[in-house]
Amino acid sequence: MTSYQSQLGEGEGIAEELAESQRSISIAEFFEKNKHMLGFDSGARGLVTAVKEAVDNALDACEEASIAPDIYIEIQEVGDYYRLIVEDNGPGITKEQIPKIFGKLLYGSRFHAREQSRGQQGIGISAAVLYSQLTSGKPAKITSRTKGSETANYYELIIDTDTNEPEIDVEDTTTWERPHGTRIEMEMEANMRARSQLHDYVQHTAVVNPHARLELKEPTNHFKYERATDQLPAETEEIRPHPHGVELGTLIKMLDATDSYSVSGFMQEEFTRVGKKTSDSILDNFRDRHFGREMAWRPPQAHEDVDVARAVQQAVSNKGKDATADFADGVASVIDGREYVAHHEIGTIVDNHADRVEDEYGKTFGSTVRESAVEAAWQAVSDETESQLYGIVDEVTTKRKDDAAVQGLAERIASKFETRPEDHRQRVTYDDLTAYVEKSAADTKEYDDETFGETSREKIVDAIWSLMRTVPDDVPNVAEVAGDRDCASDLLTAMRETDIIAPPTDCLAPITDELVEEGLKKEFDADFYAASTRDAAVHGGDPFIVEAGIAYGGDIPADGKVEVMRFANRVPLVYQRGACATTDVVKSINWRNYGLDQPGGSGIPNGPGVVMVHVASTNVPFTSESKDAVANIPELESEIELAIREAARELKSFLNKRRSLQKRRKKQNKLATILPEMAEKLSEVTDREQLNIDDTMARIMNNVLVERQRENGTVKLVVENNTDTNADLEITDIVDADPGDVEEAQVVEMDGEWFVKWNPTVSGGDEATLEYSLDEDASCDVTVDGVEDEKLTINTES
Amino acid sequence: MSTDEQAREQLIDLAAEFYDQFAGGQIPRMTLPTRTKSNIEYDEDKNVWVYGDRTSSRTANSVRGAQKLLKAIYTIDFLAQQLDEDRSSTLRELYYLSESWDHEDAQFKNQDESNDLVEDLEIVSEVTREDFHMRPEESGATLMGPLFLREQTRRGERDIHCQEDVGEGGYQIPNNPDTIEFLDNDADFVLCVETGGMRDRLVENGFDTEYNVIIVHLKGQPARATRRITKRLHDELDLPVVVFTDGDPWSYRIYGSVAYGSIKSAHLSEYLATPEADYVGIRPEDIVEYDLPTDPLADSDINALESELEDPRFQTDFWEEQIELQLDIEKKAEQQALASRGLDFVTDTYLPERLTEMGVI
Repeated sequence: MTSYQSQLGEGEGIAEELAESQRSISIAEFFEKNKHMLGFDSGARGLVTAVKEAVDNALDACEEASIAPDIYIEIQEVGDYYRLIVEDNGPGITKEQIPKIFGKLLYGSRFHAREQSRGQQGIGISAAVLYSQLTSGKPAKITSRTKGSETANYYELIIDTDTNEPEIDVEDTTTWERPHGTRIEMEMEANMRARSQLHDYVQHTAVVNPHARLELKEPTNHFKYERATDQLPAETEEIRPHPHGVELGTLIKMLDATDSYSVSGFMQEEFTRVGKKTSDSILDNFRDRHFGREMAWRPPQAHEDVDVARAVQQAVSNKGKDATADFADGVASVIDGREYVAHHEIGTIVDNHADRVEDEYGKTFGSTVRESAVEAAWQAVSDETESQLYGIVDEVTTKRKDDAAVQGLAERIASKFETRPEDHRQRVTYDDLTAYVEKSAADTKEYDDETFGETSREKIVDAIWSLMRTVPDDVPNVAEVAGDRDCASDLLTAMRETDIIAPPTDCLAPITDELVEEGLKKEFDADFYAASTRDAAVHGGDPFIVEAGIAYGGDIPADGKVEVMRFANRVPLVYQRGACATTDVVKSINWRNYGLDQPGGSGIPNGPGVVMVHVASTNVPFTSESKDAVANIPELESEIELAIREAARELKSFLNKRRSLQKRRKKQNKLATILPEMAEKLSEVTDREQLNIDDTMARIMNNVLVERQRENGTVKLVVENNTDTNADLEITDIVDADPGDVEEAQVVEMDGEWFVKWNPTVSGGDEATLEYSLDEDASCDVTVDGVEDEKLTINTES
Repeated sequence: MSTDEQAREQLIDLAAEFYDQFAGGQIPRMTLPTRTKSNIEYDEDKNVWVYGDRTSSRTANSVRGAQKLLKAIYTIDFLAQQLDEDRSSTLRELYYLSESWDHEDAQFKNQDESNDLVEDLEIVSEVTREDFHMRPEESGATLMGPLFLREQTRRGERDIHCQEDVGEGGYQIPNNPDTIEFLDNDADFVLCVETGGMRDRLVENGFDTEYNVIIVHLKGQPARATRRITKRLHDELDLPVVVFTDGDPWSYRIYGSVAYGSIKSAHLSEYLATPEADYVGIRPEDIVEYDLPTDPLADSDINALESELEDPRFQTDFWEEQIELQLDIEKKAEQQALASRGLDFVTDTYLPERLTEMGVI
């Protein structure tokens, strides 16, 4: 049978042949072939993505320099191509940086920073440049003027896809009317089919950036989005990584790069939320992982034959009778005083007493003597272990197990500790300990026919582990950890095991609920707005904040589904709606509970509404590099849901109130036709005069009734509260003659009219009378505030 | 003042009450006794079942209540006019007439609504429907027997002998039997019969002449006029009244409405019910004794029997015993079942035996 190897060998040089065509690919080249990963998969989409990248950069630049952004976007038709121009009033870019920022992929200031920002990878704008040069062959034209400089720098450049380096066509200085800022001009193959996404993107950007002024000029349209606030987003602090948020590769890289020598210093220096105390806990956990723990046993009791003092005494020779006895008694009394004692603890005790006895008796206790004393004492302590393990096993296995089986298991575990000649200190890692127990349990099953279930086994392991002592050995230093992958992995596990407070949140700049509401008000003419901002939460070491806003009613189109606006770090997400965690959460909520129509009880609800969700994080988990959709992370989804529900609760009470007022209005309208008819018929049947039914109406509607009575130069306003709650009213009677001073009222004259104003509180079911004198010929007109129109009846005819 | 004038006054007084409520800024309301089984009680003085103290209100507070009141006022207007013009109309005509009322909310949605409203007005105005000149659709039932009476008709007075002057069908009871004057009679007692078949059998067998009995045909659940004339025959002519129906729960209710008054018209019990009326049969015990052909009780029959056990009108030893027996045997029988013993069995044996036992003959 011919071997595969020899077959390969026959076609001599295949590997060499293959090798000839194998070469490294530049990142620029890679993205040239994988445009879709960056959101440039079609002409329609490419244009939107290019706008998005340019605007995101512009907003980031302005905010970093604390400048209220003023951004101008223009799209021109140029023959077969479109020309995109984006201008900002940011701080400008220095001459040296321009080519790199626009002409090199993966160049940026943000990739390594743990701070909330729109851009993160340094791909966006250069990818747009790459896309424009690939489709139109034209270079990108960049103008930038830094603050204070007389002239602006002008570049025309393309990206060399082989080397991922900028290739400068034109380099010049020019004049520009903006005092500072950046302008980029790109030509690309594109179309305007994605116009609505473009408009959505710009409008949504305006909603979450109420501090920015945006202008969009298209061949046929011109939109302006004015600023709603001068308040810039809070400046964010860059934070160091959180110990819970790093991965092994990152950790090793950090270990390689750090200046610290010790792991403790490294932890405190390079991570957020790690001080001395936290660092010590991490190191203890690291020790447990790396070295394992030492088993601790209960010292021999008085009734047992083993005697620690005698054992120690016998191990010491040539130190004189008194000194030896004193030493042995000292060590033994300390050990006897301990509940449990481990090997290294005996070492410390022996050292202490050896030092003491050396001082007192002038004898030298060398390391050999000390070691044999330790071993003798340890022998004595670890002599009888089965009964101790029996106690542990018996205690934690709640079900009544067969006594012989428990004994058998204890014996087997004990023997595992004893049969380790290579480590008489009985040092065991957690995993080894688990293996001991597993194996012992398996044997017990086989020989004693008693099963110890998974829970029992875990309990036994944990009980033993909690008795074991962390060893005092020095942990490896940074260089050692960095050089040993397993060791670094132990450190990472230790970091994750340790309870550490959540990362600080000043690295995040939420829009805040007030500004979310402002933003919605600015762009949607609705009847109702609500917003909520959650407290910061953490996912994988990155803090995040979720905000939600709801606008409802008014001019928002009522047909079709509620519009869901998604944002990540103030950037609107326009594509891949269906793949986004935000959309999933909106669909999963039972909106019927909140008064919206939701066919089938799930999915996007119907109605004239807008739901917006903003996720701010130092590292928003996206589903792909094109950053179109937020990934389905449980912690994140739960916060999104809570934020939406918070705002939706307000929506519910608004809708309920509106519905009850509608019902009331409907009832009022109906009764307003029935009752007059009734009154008219009654006058007819009884042959009596026409009836006034306003009082009856007010009573029926549980309304607040304000009735005017005029008599002999006195005006009485009778306020009757037929509701069951207090009414805090503001009643103003506007009269055209001077009423003089009026008790309990404010009188203000304006252009020959007197405004008599009361602020009475009338409790439910009560009546109040407001009285003043007025010339009988004077006319008056009353207005009442503080109660909804539907609940108010004014009767001033009589 | 004539009855018509008085009825009209009382209706207008009712309207005036609503008027005053409006004028005083009150919410117009109409208070009625609650018309349910649980709110009827025995009036010891009058020996009939009347409404208890529980009341419910119709107010203009709700759209429904306001519509009801509007309808009531329109109906009052209509009835007052009808009385004024000495016309009369049927309940069904009232329902159709409302279609012509200009306000849509005043129109009746169905005839039950207009029937109920007329009953409401009877209660609050204390005027009977007959005095409003309202009559039911179907003609009243018939009677046959040795009775001579005078009826006020629109074409003048008619003197009629209810055996000699009538055909096989008997004398047609007018809608308002109070227009009748009893002139003379040879009757010994009054026998109310539920079904037409049994009535015809009794007449064919000459039971009315043989035993001097006035046979009143109830035609199922008896109309008011039938109940009224039965009461008058008892009260004015001092004749014992017995009721002969099928042996099922629905027929016991027919007896109940003759003897105790119906729940819906408990306000008129005093005027319509004949508390002294006795029950002939078919009794559940007859089913057992005569081994009659039977039908099994349906679920609805059982429910009806159980509900009768809770009905205050049926809480007597006799009825409790009979109903429990029926629930036990789970059978019911029609009057005609007696024909299984021969066509003459009912007239020759069953009725004479039972009536003797009851002390009627």
